[in-house]
Amino acid sequence: MNIRKLLLRNETALIIAIVVLSLIIGIKSPEFFTLANLFDIFRSSFVQLIFALGVLIVIISGGIDISFPAVGIFAGYTAVVLMQRFEWNPENLLLPIALAIIIGTILGAINSIAIATFGIPTLIATLGTSGIFRGLMLTFIGSSFISDIPVALDKFATADLLKIQPEVGTLARLHVLIIPVAILTILVSLLLTRTMFGRSVYALGGGVEATRRLGISVKRTQAKIYMLVGGLSGLAGILYVSLQRKANPYDLAGSELDIIAAVVLGGASIMGGYGTVFGTVLGVLLISLIKGNLILLGVSGSWQRAAVGALLLIGITVQALNESKKAKNRRVSTSDEAGQ
Amino acid sequence: MSTLLTTEYGVKDIVKSFGGAKALSGVSISVKSGEVHCIAGENGSGKSTLIKIMSGIHAPDTGLIRLGEKSFTKLSPREAVHEGVQVIFQDFSLLPNMTVAENIAMPTYILNNSRILSKNQTKEIASNALSLIGVDIDINTPVADISIASKQLIAIARATNLGVKMLFMDEPTTALTRKEIKRLFEVVEQIKARGVATVFVSHKIDEIQEICNTITILRNGEVVGDGLMKDFDRKTISQAMTGLDVSESRIAPKLEKTTKKVVEIKNFTTKPTFSNISFSIAPGEILGMTGLLGSGRTELAEAIFGQYPVDSGEIIVDGTPIQLNSSSKALKAGIGYVPPDRLTQGLFLEQSILNNLVAVGIDKYQSKGGRLSKSRLIEAGERWIKELRIKTNNPQNPVTSLSGGNQQRVVLAKWLAMNPHLMILNGPTVGVDIGSKREILKIIRDRAQEGMAFLVISDDIPELVQICHRVIVIKNGQISKEFSEAELDEKILYKELS
Amino acid sequence: MNERLSRFNTGLLADRKITQLMIFTTLTFFFFSYASRDIFFSSSNFISMAYQIPEIAILSIALMLSMLTGGIDLSIVSISNAAALVASWVMTTKMDEAGNLSTNWIIIACVLGTIIGVLAGAVNSILVARLNVTPILATLATMTLFNGIAIGITNGESVSGLPEQFMRVGNGTFFGIPTPFVLMIFIAIAVGFLINRTTLGLKVFLVGTNRKAAQYSVMGDRKVIAWVYLISGLLSSLAGLIIASRTSAASPDFGSSYILLAIVIVVLGGINPNGGFGTVTGVILATVVLQMVASGFNALRFSQFLYLAAQGGVLIFVMILNVILEKRRTNRSIAKSLRS
Repeated sequence: MNIRKLLLRNETALIIAIVVLSLIIGIKSPEFFTLANLFDIFRSSFVQLIFALGVLIVIISGGIDISFPAVGIFAGYTAVVLMQRFEWNPENLLLPIALAIIIGTILGAINSIAIATFGIPTLIATLGTSGIFRGLMLTFIGSSFISDIPVALDKFATADLLKIQPEVGTLARLHVLIIPVAILTILVSLLLTRTMFGRSVYALGGGVEATRRLGISVKRTQAKIYMLVGGLSGLAGILYVSLQRKANPYDLAGSELDIIAAVVLGGASIMGGYGTVFGTVLGVLLISLIKGNLILLGVSGSWQRAAVGALLLIGITVQALNESKKAKNRRVSTSDEAGQ
Repeated sequence: MSTLLTTEYGVKDIVKSFGGAKALSGVSISVKSGEVHCIAGENGSGKSTLIKIMSGIHAPDTGLIRLGEKSFTKLSPREAVHEGVQVIFQDFSLLPNMTVAENIAMPTYILNNSRILSKNQTKEIASNALSLIGVDIDINTPVADISIASKQLIAIARATNLGVKMLFMDEPTTALTRKEIKRLFEVVEQIKARGVATVFVSHKIDEIQEICNTITILRNGEVVGDGLMKDFDRKTISQAMTGLDVSESRIAPKLEKTTKKVVEIKNFTTKPTFSNISFSIAPGEILGMTGLLGSGRTELAEAIFGQYPVDSGEIIVDGTPIQLNSSSKALKAGIGYVPPDRLTQGLFLEQSILNNLVAVGIDKYQSKGGRLSKSRLIEAGERWIKELRIKTNNPQNPVTSLSGGNQQRVVLAKWLAMNPHLMILNGPTVGVDIGSKREILKIIRDRAQEGMAFLVISDDIPELVQICHRVIVIKNGQISKEFSEAELDEKILYKELS
Repeated sequence: MNERLSRFNTGLLADRKITQLMIFTTLTFFFFSYASRDIFFSSSNFISMAYQIPEIAILSIALMLSMLTGGIDLSIVSISNAAALVASWVMTTKMDEAGNLSTNWIIIACVLGTIIGVLAGAVNSILVARLNVTPILATLATMTLFNGIAIGITNGESVSGLPEQFMRVGNGTFFGIPTPFVLMIFIAIAVGFLINRTTLGLKVFLVGTNRKAAQYSVMGDRKVIAWVYLISGLLSSLAGLIIASRTSAASPDFGSSYILLAIVIVVLGGINPNGGFGTVTGVILATVVLQMVASGFNALRFSQFLYLAAQGGVLIFVMILNVILEKRRTNRSIAKSLRS
């Protein structure tokens, strides 16, 4: 790959954006460049990243899912409620996590039925199911805040991999989740690039009819995608509950915007077919960076959402301009070749 | 003795209906290994249904699919691939967002039920497949970035890689230049030598004659002729295809000598698509334009109409220069354009016939205060239905309820309603039956007689010879030759093209 | 001629959909009237419904316009809140201590609110029509941005205590009919006129059916789309003013569930999400149905969360029904075209 191509890549632009932004924040308030702050950005990115990986898969396949926060909180909250009701309180995390993933996958399967079986447009289908999931959870499972979550989840919130006390300033804590999340990220990346399923996801985004003619079952692939996203959302949901040390069924509403913004900024095309895990990681970091450090820039925290909106707006405008330029070049180059 | 060595592939007595209407009624086709067989037929003759049955997309109602010694009542797409049936669709069905290597290797993985892919293996499969047909293309390029001709070759490499026994090629030459077609035919010869039964679906008679050994002609879902290619000639093939005695005598009206010009194109240039194009059209003149796909002819037509950018040049309509790169200015100056693809560019498919008829120049039907005058709209619609003899009992029906020929008339009518000085028709009779084709050519002639100027772009050389006063041939974005009325001759035109 | 005219106006398909909706509306009405004779079937309930219907109906009409062109405007609620906030801010700053404000200032405030709506709509127009950004993505970004700016400026707090005279619009009556309802009828007629009786309206349907063909028919497809998002912004701001006037407050968070509700209404109202077909009557009827379900649930003491689930359920159900009916229709038309 030559340098020009490398520079034009979306990931490069994102890295530059992250570096420039960091420098600006850092110059304004030097406390930005502390280990504690870096670890905080990581911590606030874990759950976001797991959600984002799921959304990435959906977007590459040419769809969109906005039910994932509902699925996440449904799975996380329900797992906690179930454990309380049946008085399961094991020392390890396996049970709550498994429960949440199973619940998430089941909800994902409902999305699969709406999308793969009936062919409902993905935005409308997941908008509908997210209303159903939230409504049913709040009506039948519970609508009250749970603060005494199972002990394993509670303990996990403070499970640090590293604690570094610098000479001055606050204690820097690196949460142990960095390892499993990193592994998960690599796994999703391998899934997308090295497996038949992953390539089918890209194929689907490249063209539904062409994929069908290849002999790939479009419905089965779609069904798997939405179940997988459900499972990932369930996992993200329970980890969210754990890190917050409480289960609040009203949480995560509205978080779909930040995550979709991160994935789109990461270079995934909403029309499908394009997107990388690396880009998504960078997108999530960029959003976490700007949301978490507005105050250091001297801007009130209530501007968080506007900042995300502005970032997304800039991102899509740049992508749209690039796309029209590319389309022009492509038109010229194909007619050029044909003319030779 | 030779029958022992060859294997036969094909279908026997296939019947397929959709909701009570028969698409295929008892079709049998047999192709031997190492043979190139042609299936010819007009749109709606059942060609594509047959391909879909062979590739497992549709199941036949009755009849058998025979692949060597095995017989099937139906195939699934997977079985079809397993049994060595491959189809190269007209649009190639490649994935633009993936590399050449992946596009070629994917079916192999699918066939082997592989779950895990290795990049090296992918590359190996792809390079092998390409070298097997003797083609060299960079396998790491995304398919979105390569030329149409290369895409065609990739589609072939992909299809022939998998122990293919029977290969369907659906209109494989439409997008290729003559040189590329030669290359394609070399590849087909190689495949043939490997003992593949190849089926060439095409309507280009000269190409069929060049490459095919045997032929089956379909009409309205029935076989109306088959046998050795050498027993057929141009006329018998097209007669069988259409069921009509095709008269291709000239119908162009006599052209009054005049120095008046409806439109003058001067030095139209958009590098590298076309350059230095100049010509003019007189009132009542029908100018034909032909060239291979990719020659720049469509871009040129759309440039005159303001839909394709023009870098430099001048366009003068009725003596006044008009602004380039603006369709609304072109429309105002009196230029109309019927695009080549009726379904995606010409029609509003789910909308009513009436709405389709009035879609150009809607503002004409505005009365005071921005109101849309429905009575005038309906009046205009009914007038055009009558004038162009569009067959419908209710103009409120969706335009999809019409046949191809009638749909094309709707597209034509919406432009004729503007009464343009110059009408550009890009492929005016593509995909319409022979009866409608005649009608449409007559409409063109009648309008020309009234003084409307025409620019007709077409692949169909006999059609151009039939209707035009003059034909220009575009090659590599330039006018390579101009033929006057006296010089118009199919053979010479074909020769100039290739 | 008259018979032909009436045939033209409605079209057989639209007719059937309206009839179906009418039946559905009547059934819903009788169901809840029977189930809750004293609460649902009471004049006070009908009056309160008449006050609640208009705002969501106007937002749904705005959404319908973008959907007719095959797009979607997710920013309607954000725009409505932004307009309400601006108008409320002007009014509260100009108000005297007793809460009085001259009519002129109220008018100025409302005009400023609608200007905000039009400007916001213009941003969407530029993104969608000019830069060719996918409508989902463009309006997702502007929805976040507008909402974010509103939160940033107000610090997330609502502006309340609006002048008496302004509140009279949202809570008063006009010849015995609730004023907001009268305004809604007026807007519905205006939009109905726009899409059925003007050239722009016909163009909207054509662009929504096939953008490419519209381009080749030189009807100014970009201009049509630009107008649609502009009008959508204007209508959203009007809805926002009505909301502010009815509730005597404006808040950046108001109606966060309205976008789901509006999509449910529009889909139930028979608008094809792929563009090209739909009627204002359908949208109004669908709003009435949904409001009856809301009031009925309330009367029967079902939780508001169950209503949320019901919205999602209705959306999915209607979409599945559409898919099945569509399939049947295509099969029939294939058969027809082969027979001819």
